[in-house]
Amino acid sequence: VSPQESLSEGDFQRLFATEAEGRLDALVDDLLELEKHGANPEVVASLFREAHTLKGGAAVVGMAHVARVAHAMEDLLEEVRRERRGVDTALIDAVLAGVDAIRTLIPLAVAGQEHEQVAFEAEQRLRIAVGGPPVVDDKPAAGRASKRAAPSAPAAPSPVARPVSGGEPATPAAASVPPLDEASSPEPEPGAGTDGTVSPSDAPVALSPVPPPAPSGGARRPAPPAGDHGAAENAPTEAHATTDGAAGRGEPARATATEMLQIPVHRIDDLVRLIGEASAATLRLGSALLERLERDPSSVTEYRDLVRSLNQLQELALHARMIPVMSLAPRLRRAVRDLARETGKEVRFETRGEDAEIDRGVLERLADPLLHLVRNAVDHGVESPDERRLHGKPAEGTIRLHAMQLGSEVVIAVSDDGRGIDVGRVREAAGRTDRSAVEMDDEAALYLIFRSGLTTASKVTGVSGRGVGLDAVRASLNAVRGRIEVRSDPGIGTEFRIAVPITMATLRCLVIKAAGQAYAIPLHSVRAVLPHQPSATVGGRAMTMLDGRPVQISSLASVLGTGNGTAGPSVVLAGLTRSHAFTVDDLVDQRDVVVKGLGELVPRLPAVAGAGVQPDGSILLVLEAAGLIERARRMDNGDRSLEAAGGGEHDEAPQQHAASILVVDDALTVRELQRSIFENAGYRVRVAVNGEEALVAISEERPDLVLTDVQMPRMDGFELTEAIRKQPTLASMPVIILTSRGSDEDRRRGLECGADGYIVKSGFDQSALLSAVERLLGAER
Amino acid sequence: VANATTPGVRAGQLALLIPVGSDTYAIPLETVREVVVDPRVTQLPTSPAVVRGVFNVRGDIVVLLDTGLLLGLRPCTGEPYAVLVETAHGTAGLVATDMPQTVRLNESVGHSDIEGTTETYLVADARLAVALDVPTLLSPARISQ
Repeated sequence: VSPQESLSEGDFQRLFATEAEGRLDALVDDLLELEKHGANPEVVASLFREAHTLKGGAAVVGMAHVARVAHAMEDLLEEVRRERRGVDTALIDAVLAGVDAIRTLIPLAVAGQEHEQVAFEAEQRLRIAVGGPPVVDDKPAAGRASKRAAPSAPAAPSPVARPVSGGEPATPAAASVPPLDEASSPEPEPGAGTDGTVSPSDAPVALSPVPPPAPSGGARRPAPPAGDHGAAENAPTEAHATTDGAAGRGEPARATATEMLQIPVHRIDDLVRLIGEASAATLRLGSALLERLERDPSSVTEYRDLVRSLNQLQELALHARMIPVMSLAPRLRRAVRDLARETGKEVRFETRGEDAEIDRGVLERLADPLLHLVRNAVDHGVESPDERRLHGKPAEGTIRLHAMQLGSEVVIAVSDDGRGIDVGRVREAAGRTDRSAVEMDDEAALYLIFRSGLTTASKVTGVSGRGVGLDAVRASLNAVRGRIEVRSDPGIGTEFRIAVPITMATLRCLVIKAAGQAYAIPLHSVRAVLPHQPSATVGGRAMTMLDGRPVQISSLASVLGTGNGTAGPSVVLAGLTRSHAFTVDDLVDQRDVVVKGLGELVPRLPAVAGAGVQPDGSILLVLEAAGLIERARRMDNGDRSLEAAGGGEHDEAPQQHAASILVVDDALTVRELQRSIFENAGYRVRVAVNGEEALVAISEERPDLVLTDVQMPRMDGFELTEAIRKQPTLASMPVIILTSRGSDEDRRRGLECGADGYIVKSGFDQSALLSAVERLLGAER
Repeated sequence: VANATTPGVRAGQLALLIPVGSDTYAIPLETVREVVVDPRVTQLPTSPAVVRGVFNVRGDIVVLLDTGLLLGLRPCTGEPYAVLVETAHGTAGLVATDMPQTVRLNESVGHSDIEGTTETYLVADARLAVALDVPTLLSPARISQ
């Protein structure tokens, strides 16, 4: 159940939620370390950094309450870092209470809710622990759990928003906000330490060398071996995460063991099938009402009630078939371990996203592709320990399996920190049979790895080098309407991202018209529906604004080649890595489509996912967002090359947006958000997680501009800027420091070390960031 | 009965004549599932021109192919009839621009040079009909060309 209308923000919020989980684990680890061994500057610095990064990430994704608590936590830890305050029980309890509060607030925020009381109490407790005065203003009415009005939902105020929001009441999760007492019942009291103390000034429990016991269902975890911290991997990583994962994330009440019922899968399958048939019969009933009785079915209350109940029933039944994606993890871990041993490599396997669930049938089809990807990562990606040491990497490589629910899709990433894919060799290998491969740019050439028969391995091993594999992975994914994308940075690693629908039964679609013809667009790819949008041409591409961010816009009919542009509404579609707006004639409605393939005789059309037969016998084509976006971009590029050939007067315009930007930030959410902002604006984006990595990336390929965070492990943003300025060849490369610390001292330091711009994230406004970047890039040219 | 080594029709066999513009083509009657009059075609954007679209035959989605373009000739004008042909790759529709008819073929009057066809036959009312090599014409590879 996800509010489709706020997907754009929701995506990043979920990404942040997943990231925050790891950071909160790390915070707890560090706190328990302090509790055991007393103040240690390194641990304090790490604590401070985690709190700081949480604050920045939360602010960026619009979780103001989380940001507030993290901010108070940061301020308190800053006092400790500057040795103005010692470490004692009160401090540790206050920070732990902050952690608990954030764990409560994040899932609420993702569900579009707030909890003023929890944020307030945690913040107050943290402020008191500093020794400063308690926060007295904005005390809310106690016990209020308010539902936020989803301010950023782009379509909310427009009359065309209904189709996307389902024409139905708010989703059950959002609609039934329980009162505070119930909402927090599975959690410890907000702001309470596990010792049960609520009053911040009252810290009677003696400092204990043992982590305090967590109450059942409590949010605090006893010293989990957080994967991020490189804890010894003797214990399976997912063990800690799944045992207490649900409770730890502050999810609403989960059934206890006695409330569980084991049901044979086929019974659920039968149920799902029957509900599907009932839904189809209902649609036929609707068309019979229209044809025989000339009654518009949507005007018949009983019909609407029936449809709504069936939809809910279907959703519940589908949910019953869901299992966690990570149920595959033990198999994959075993494969990694075995293959690593066989190849003499040291590999750590980490998992994240234990709460992502997927239809059992879909997951079964993913087992082999995922197995293939992790084996590939061990065999092709991770280098031998000697080679890694030679390149200054830890001898042990890391393979991560990360699952995340985005709308009605699950995205599963398999990444490694190995040598990356050698695009040159891929191009060369493909060029032997296909001359056009030689001309491809790196991004296009990288995707040649999915072609059948292609191998770059110089020798055939037990697992790879036979040229079968990734094409089979792609084919298996096509069978479940999934898709795969790859990113690779030489020397840094490779990430494969798979996106699959959570379920295969029916596809909820938005039906639109373009050039007079109706098409269905899977709702999970629809980010927003906007009334007619003004657009401006930037660098040869038509752009419009969504949530203050530029998005490329095209006419759907032109992209499909069936007509020209219209002045109708726009539908913003999300691919895996970028969004694109399409203008259509009209929005028709929203319906469930049983999608069928077009048969073997029809060539594969990337923009068409399939078709459904409608109750009136007509055929409704289902479009594929990723294919459409790709096609639109290719057409835009074609247009631009035509312009360049014809004109030639605007010598800066076409090139300007191919500029490359290196985003340096240790927070995944911020990195991905910035990547999305700049990619949508037409830039090429690379990322690095700290200053050291950034320097490596710069030496490999000089970016046109560097955008860096300040607080990062290993080498911070100031040090990075200084290092860049020391190299004569990089002296003119613009560097922007983006930070959530707005102090004058920091700003002065940033400018002193040679940054061209200093932007504070709290006042973070994407168009300001984009215009700063454009200005600096323009100045450099 | 036609088999894989003898594509198209032979003398003495029942064939369905498919009028396309001023030309007439013949296919073995046993490969024909049915003829749909005035199919309700949904265009398939981004597909090659030879694919005129898809239509619904009792719940199945069937592709409609332009018989003229399939032979490398002029495209059909309109699609008043769709001849449903069974192939190894599933059912496909071929456009006929006039009512198809069933005939028993006489002896071949000569070889046809058009790629994807076999022999030429003289049929009733002094028309020439060119026999189609269905497996060659209705293959995924040829359609994607």
